[in-house]
Amino acid sequence: MRIQTSEDLDSIRKRGLQKIQPGRPRIGVGTSSCGIAVGGIALYNRMHKIIQMKNLDISLVKTGCIGFCKEEPIVSVNIPGKALVLLRKVQEDDAERIISLALEGDVPSDLVLCKISDWDHITGNLVYGNGFDTIPEYGEIPFFAHQKKVILRDSGLINPEDIDEYIGIGGYSAAYQALTSMEPDTIIDEVKKSGLRGRGGAGFPAGLKWEITKKAPGEEKYIVCNADEGDPGAYMNRNEMESDPHMLLEGMLIGAFAMGVHEGLIYIRAEYPLAIERLMLALDQARTYGLLGKNIFNTGFDCDIRIATGAGAFVCGESTALAASIEGKTGRPRLRPPRLTEKGVFGKPTDLNNVETWCNVPVIIAKGALWYSSIGAKGNTGTKVFSLVGKVDNIGMVEVPLGTSLHSIIYDIGNGGAQGKEVKAVQTGGPSGGCIPVRLFDTPVDFESLNQVGTMMGSGGLVVMDEDTNMVDIARYFINFASGESCGKCVPCREGLKHMLLILNRIIAGKGTREDLDLLRELADTVQKTSLCGLGQTAPNPVLTTMQYFKEEYDALISSEA
Amino acid sequence: MSLFGSMNRMVTITINKNQYLAEEGEIFLLTAMRLNIDIPHLCYEKALEPYGACRLCMVDLVTCGKTTMTPACTIKVHNGLEILTDTPQIIKHRNLLFELYLAEAPKSEVIREMAAKYGVKKTRFLKKIVHEDPLLGKCILCGLCVRVCTEIMGTCAINFINRGPYTVINTPFFEQNPDCAGCAACAQVCPTKAIVFEDRDAERVMQSWSGTTVPLATCSSCKKSFAPEKLMHKVLDKLDPAIIEEIKSLCPECRRQHITRKVIRKVPKS
Ligand SMILES: Cc1cc2nc3c(=O)[nH]c(=O)nc-3n(C[C@H](O)[C@H](O)[C@H](O)COP(=O)(O)O)c2cc1C
Ligand code: SF4
Ligand code: SF4
Ligand code: FES
Ligand code: FES
Repeated sequence: MRIQTSEDLDSIRKRGLQKIQPGRPRIGVGTSSCGIAVGGIALYNRMHKIIQMKNLDISLVKTGCIGFCKEEPIVSVNIPGKALVLLRKVQEDDAERIISLALEGDVPSDLVLCKISDWDHITGNLVYGNGFDTIPEYGEIPFFAHQKKVILRDSGLINPEDIDEYIGIGGYSAAYQALTSMEPDTIIDEVKKSGLRGRGGAGFPAGLKWEITKKAPGEEKYIVCNADEGDPGAYMNRNEMESDPHMLLEGMLIGAFAMGVHEGLIYIRAEYPLAIERLMLALDQARTYGLLGKNIFNTGFDCDIRIATGAGAFVCGESTALAASIEGKTGRPRLRPPRLTEKGVFGKPTDLNNVETWCNVPVIIAKGALWYSSIGAKGNTGTKVFSLVGKVDNIGMVEVPLGTSLHSIIYDIGNGGAQGKEVKAVQTGGPSGGCIPVRLFDTPVDFESLNQVGTMMGSGGLVVMDEDTNMVDIARYFINFASGESCGKCVPCREGLKHMLLILNRIIAGKGTREDLDLLRELADTVQKTSLCGLGQTAPNPVLTTMQYFKEEYDALISSEA
Repeated sequence: MSLFGSMNRMVTITINKNQYLAEEGEIFLLTAMRLNIDIPHLCYEKALEPYGACRLCMVDLVTCGKTTMTPACTIKVHNGLEILTDTPQIIKHRNLLFELYLAEAPKSEVIREMAAKYGVKKTRFLKKIVHEDPLLGKCILCGLCVRVCTEIMGTCAINFINRGPYTVINTPFFEQNPDCAGCAACAQVCPTKAIVFEDRDAERVMQSWSGTTVPLATCSSCKKSFAPEKLMHKVLDKLDPAIIEEIKSLCPECRRQHITRKVIRKVPKS
């Protein structure tokens, strides 16, 4: 059926809620890539078989991820009228007893992580119920307590492969509101007022980019979603697409309407097969409901979104290389200007935004700019999703208001170093960022503060290092990565990074000299200042910051006779 | 202002604190060259779009008192443009780039002379070991050959292979490429004279391009080989068929004599 009126949307909404709270036990298995990696699919299949064979009155669904990667596979059990319970580190062999206990209205106590009595989906509120008095509430678990879930509000709770569930908790109502009762310019104004800045790394104001694209001359234009996520240690975008693909589509639909664009593209790396599969499914479902295609919500507005896959080159995340890659050319950056907003995909004006930038849009429209801008810090509004990885105790996907300190993320949420080790530093911004030492952990995580300490926000990877990590080795790791991913067009990046790597190898082998250190610093500076695109311009950051903050580790490696 | 024989508006620009008149919209690198202000450059060619890859032409662009390093080949002249070409910063970075080039193309005379001109005589970086390099250890990947082949000749016989520090230029799969017309425009445009080819009897062998071999046309008059056949076809396709019939098999020398003999009586010598 096609959704045309608010009544149509309401009736699907009711159906979706029925699916989330079906009046019989519902079991959800975390099957994002992280869950699958530790047996999520096998677990789901086992449960499915049992339920089928015995013809049990249980609803079994795949869910996205709730973010606590360390505890995956995570299973949610909802007994009608009772609090939803999250089970941790569930094994295939636990399937049988989880199911039989669920039928009795109970859960295996040894697997319990926490319970959720009610949940604020922001676009809707779900009350699950009480019971399970001895199980801690979600908000009492330190890993969750210090987070604020806006982008991840549905992750791990709804079935990402069923559009009804997304609509059930209020999905697509923001798009309905935008298309049927808002002027395109009002939408752009709202996004501008919200203060939303691009989540792809540079933090460019999203509303402003929309306005520039809208004002660019020409009829044919594109909006593009940058899902090329390729920095080591970053998987926020993958998770967002796997756990809640419709949030992205709804954001893009609203954006397309605001800018008067009829074609959207999602540029995604081929290494994300599950995200691609779920997006394809989501697109099909959205088209079936008429949420994409012709005459959406009977407003006369047409828009479709297609998927373009890339071969997973880090440099293809750079805007001009991305456009070239979509056009079927080699992904090599070109000179800017012209920017994409002027001359983008197929030479047409193009608005490029990161996955998470788009995901912010529905909630801005649903709750208003004022509500949105009350989250986070001045000039850095909203939340940001980070993947907290490396040598930290609680590994996972965390979402916090911008302006939260690194300390709070790494100690309050992450619980400090893994296996009781001392944390030494954290790398933000992947290969483009830098290493921040513990003594600067009071730094608030916002675009400007991170720049001030020599690193950058990047897309949101936080790689924690502990006392055992050699910082020179870390610098070498990132330079090796950047050098291998360089497109090879300009000399400072192509040759400069290569020689930085050679010098670092020499130093680590104990054959480095004082002159090597000076040359390394000099070269890092030139590569940063003279490279053509962002890859080369930022690639020396890991070296520059480790040389600044951990000079003694370099000195220790310099042979004494030199 | 016919000083430069141009039609464009002349505007005032400032280079290294001195004021000059310049043609609006012109690429600043060309303006500077004409004014004898020296800026080294390797990847710019007037007939092609600016590419901005060699980074040697970086200058300081001054806007509202703030400077940004920008390649001169990408700046268009406009009124009030202010540029610094020889600040200590520029010189420092440029010299280091020369050191990188000396290591990348250790066999290139052109690079050695150019670097020496700016006072860079040796490199602190490990020189590339040149071993069976079709471009003789001279290529600096400026991309001019590829761009000329693709954009001007419309042939696309060669391209970049691999990426990052492993980038090289050659024909697809390092095989002889039948698309190559043997025009040698690539060799003409190469700033470091890295591309080698040889005319043997009735063939031209593009040694740098995996030995791609193209037949040469033989002059029906003097019997010498003169130009690649395919190139002749390309050129002749654009001419008046009547003229073509008469001259198509003649080499440039015989053609000149033939035409001169024909027109000499018609055109009075001035
Ligand atoms: C080498 C390089 C890689 C990049 N990779 C990504 C990426 O994977 N995802 C992304 O959203 N932006 C990436 N960017 C930033 C994009 O060029 C662009 O700024 C961003 O997609 C704009 O979206 P936003 O305004 O929503 O942040 C990369 C930039 C560079 C220079
Ligand atoms: S900085 Fe690196 S990735 Fe960017 S254009 Fe230059 S060589 Fe290519
Ligand atoms: S062969 Fe010559 S023209 Fe071609 S990229 Fe190398 S240096 Fe440039
Ligand atoms: S728990 Fe799923 S991404 Fe981590
Ligand atoms: S001539 Fe300007 S970058 Fe090469």
